[in-house]
Amino acid sequence: MMSAVVATHPYIEALLKGHEMPRGGISWLDERRAQALERANALTVPTTRDEEWRFTDITPLTKLRFRPARATPQLAISDLSRFLAPEATVHLTFVDGVFAPELSANAGLPYGTVVTSFAAALHTHGAVIEQHLARHAGFEKELFAALNTCHLRDGAFVWVARNRKCPTPVQILFVSTQQETVAYPRILVVAEAGAECTLIEDHAGLGDEAYFSDAVTEVAVGEGACVRHVRVQRDARAAFHIATCAVALAKDARYASHAVTLGARISRHNLNVTQQGEGSEVRMDGLALISGRQLADTHTLMDHACPNGRSRQLHKCIVGGAAHAVFNGKIVVRPGAQLTDSAQESRNLLLSGKAQVDTKPQLEIFADDVKCSHGATVGQLDQEQVFYLRSRGLSPNRARNLLTYAFGAEVIDRIPVPSLIEQLGEMVLARTQVVGDA
Amino acid sequence: MSSVLENLVNQPYRHGFVTDIESDTAPKGLNEDIIRFISAKKNEPEWLLEFRLQAFRHWLTMAEPKWPNVKYPKIDFQDIIYYSAPKPKKLASMDEVDPELLRTFEKLGVPMNERAKLAGVAVDVIFDSVSVATTYKQKLAEVGIIFCSISEAVREHPELVRKYLGTVVPPGDNYYAALNSAVFTDGSFCFIPRGVKCPMELSTYFRINTESSGQFERTLIVAEEGASVSYLEGCTAPKFDTNQLHAAVVELVALDNAEIKYSTVQNWYAGDENGLGGIYNFVTKRGLCKGVNSKISWTQVETGSAITWKYPSCVLLGDNSIGEFYSVALTNHHQQADTGTKMVHIGRNTRSRIISKGISAGQSNNSYRGLVKIVPRAENARNYSQCDSMLIGSKCGANTFPYIQVQNPGATVEHEATTSRIGEEQLFYFASRGIGAEEAVSMIINGFCRDVFQQLPMEFAVEATKLLGLKLEGSVG
Repeated sequence: MMSAVVATHPYIEALLKGHEMPRGGISWLDERRAQALERANALTVPTTRDEEWRFTDITPLTKLRFRPARATPQLAISDLSRFLAPEATVHLTFVDGVFAPELSANAGLPYGTVVTSFAAALHTHGAVIEQHLARHAGFEKELFAALNTCHLRDGAFVWVARNRKCPTPVQILFVSTQQETVAYPRILVVAEAGAECTLIEDHAGLGDEAYFSDAVTEVAVGEGACVRHVRVQRDARAAFHIATCAVALAKDARYASHAVTLGARISRHNLNVTQQGEGSEVRMDGLALISGRQLADTHTLMDHACPNGRSRQLHKCIVGGAAHAVFNGKIVVRPGAQLTDSAQESRNLLLSGKAQVDTKPQLEIFADDVKCSHGATVGQLDQEQVFYLRSRGLSPNRARNLLTYAFGAEVIDRIPVPSLIEQLGEMVLARTQVVGDA
Repeated sequence: MSSVLENLVNQPYRHGFVTDIESDTAPKGLNEDIIRFISAKKNEPEWLLEFRLQAFRHWLTMAEPKWPNVKYPKIDFQDIIYYSAPKPKKLASMDEVDPELLRTFEKLGVPMNERAKLAGVAVDVIFDSVSVATTYKQKLAEVGIIFCSISEAVREHPELVRKYLGTVVPPGDNYYAALNSAVFTDGSFCFIPRGVKCPMELSTYFRINTESSGQFERTLIVAEEGASVSYLEGCTAPKFDTNQLHAAVVELVALDNAEIKYSTVQNWYAGDENGLGGIYNFVTKRGLCKGVNSKISWTQVETGSAITWKYPSCVLLGDNSIGEFYSVALTNHHQQADTGTKMVHIGRNTRSRIISKGISAGQSNNSYRGLVKIVPRAENARNYSQCDSMLIGSKCGANTFPYIQVQNPGATVEHEATTSRIGEEQLFYFASRGIGAEEAVSMIINGFCRDVFQQLPMEFAVEATKLLGLKLEGSVG
């Protein structure tokens, strides 16, 4: 089946041009791709006139003609070693959107844990994939999720069986290497009831190419299960990164997200978490560290659809140069979701005169017996704290760097992977020293 | 818990009577002829007619805003009476005011004479669209304060009106401001000359009386260098099953070292318990802190209207200027409110403070929407915002949409929001001290709103406390 490309927008048409439906011969998958293609054709590129994209102008992205990578370069595992966390003995690598088995290691997992590519998993876990794939990340209104879904060829599949625990963190690494290419990274994580796992989703650029990464991640957390999701976006500084992550929580499930945004010229991260069962618990941490002319946009949606849910969110931005950070954090408490306990904090540090922050915490509450709060602050380093450190003999720059590092460390220190804490901590220190001089 | 809450919610509207006064009414509909008719009726100068027509032409090119978090059927702007004035128009003194009208005000609890004498309040009463009487004018004139209806100001002080009208809210600012600029019929004008501290609280009273009439009043307050004024505004409307439109524009201008305090108690008819009827209150209010060290403070108690859509704002242009916004918004039954403020920091060392308290009951929906914007040149700006919501019952909604846009690293912006309800435990605590549920609720709500009520002038604070009590009577159990 080859659906016609009749996109309403020339940019979308260019992206879809030459788009051939991957023929898996699996009817439900073909159907979902076709639906997504239909939506991609019908939707238009969001502009700053759309409320959801008000502060994020993606015109530079639409000016570049991206195409999927034709051939992927031969990489050696040593090229990637700086990205791979030593704890993650299990890892899958995708180069320019294509699965690279020679750069992956998924052997030796205990019974009940599967980490593999969709292609391999469709034969063994077809029913699970059918149940969840493209079911959580809606593409009805989201152009970039629709584009990802209609290009769905391969992706990473992580499955943990009932009451099993994946012993090591699982790292999924997406590396982009080529100029003006577009990749559609895709992850599906299913933790069955009582299961537990830690996922490291890593988007990295090898050089400084301008490429476009349009990612979708879906996480289904079963009853009483626990998923820890570390997300590091360290794409090339000229790249574009737009990602959607949809998380569905069953009764008493736990989910923690630790998202660190460092790279890309323009990046957008949509994190939508829905509590579909009672008593689930969510932690959402985010850190955006940007400088130069970078723009980092984080949109989160915490949907309390059931009673007794709990969520805690801390989002921090460190903005230097002429960079622009955007945060929109929406908390919805649906009718009947009584005894919800939700708190959100947005903290923003401006390091230079041209840096800009737009933050919009948002509460929508339709139940009366709830505890909800949000707070937002924007400011610079506290002069008294700087003075205190100077009185201890630190130079003004060192004092400021240390305080900036500490500001970011609050998020980084909670990441459940020790080597990443160290690595990211060093990156923050290095990066803030650069922006700190501005 | 529910029975007291429900009773509280089911309080009848006390101001829902129609006063039978002959009125001078324009035909329904809106076109350039109607605007010319309004302008001619009011003997307006050519420039004002031109101002109206330009606004109207601009309005025709605009689309109704869709972003507020409110739902209502499409308004037919051709089905509205744009001019409705009580007939005996020219009044030399209070004695000549239609006794029926005076009785109306008595029913409303606004005894003009009494209040004027005892409380020393000068009241400018706007009935439907035309100002009927202004009390205490003489006394104000002695210190050089001009306080009159805007139509009178156009006649007597055209140079002042022309200098400031539309400078804070330009005619094309937004859909309803453009509509207002085209068809506004009356409103208050207040001018405090250099160095004068207004010796009394100024007050305007609005009332919509004719069914299917819209009220489009325009208020302009100018405080010159070093002047200060406190201004109060109250609103009511009779019960009708149809919805009425109220699209007002209020402009405040504060020059160097001037201070304007603007307080509103809004109790327009909110519709019945099934959401039938009520006022659509779509208002643009904006203050310009034009001079250095100027201060504008908005205080509002919003309890009425089927739909409230307003954002009293401050543009902090002068260095060291201060903007404040204190608000209590109460919604009940099917009321919808999307209200908040905008603080735009432009000058250096500007400060703003936002305290917003939202109370939702019944099936109502109450949204706070606010903007704090610090432009690149606004060095050392400071903002503190707090918006708290309280929910009474499980069918209402409370939303907050604070936008914070910071483009200067020297700024310090803080925003806090919480949501809570009147808990069983709190009521139990009161009960254990021998205080009944109803009184307990009233005390809790008064405590919840205290930060705002403290900002109101004394009589208004008492009125507001009573109003909230009435509105919520019996809604807790």
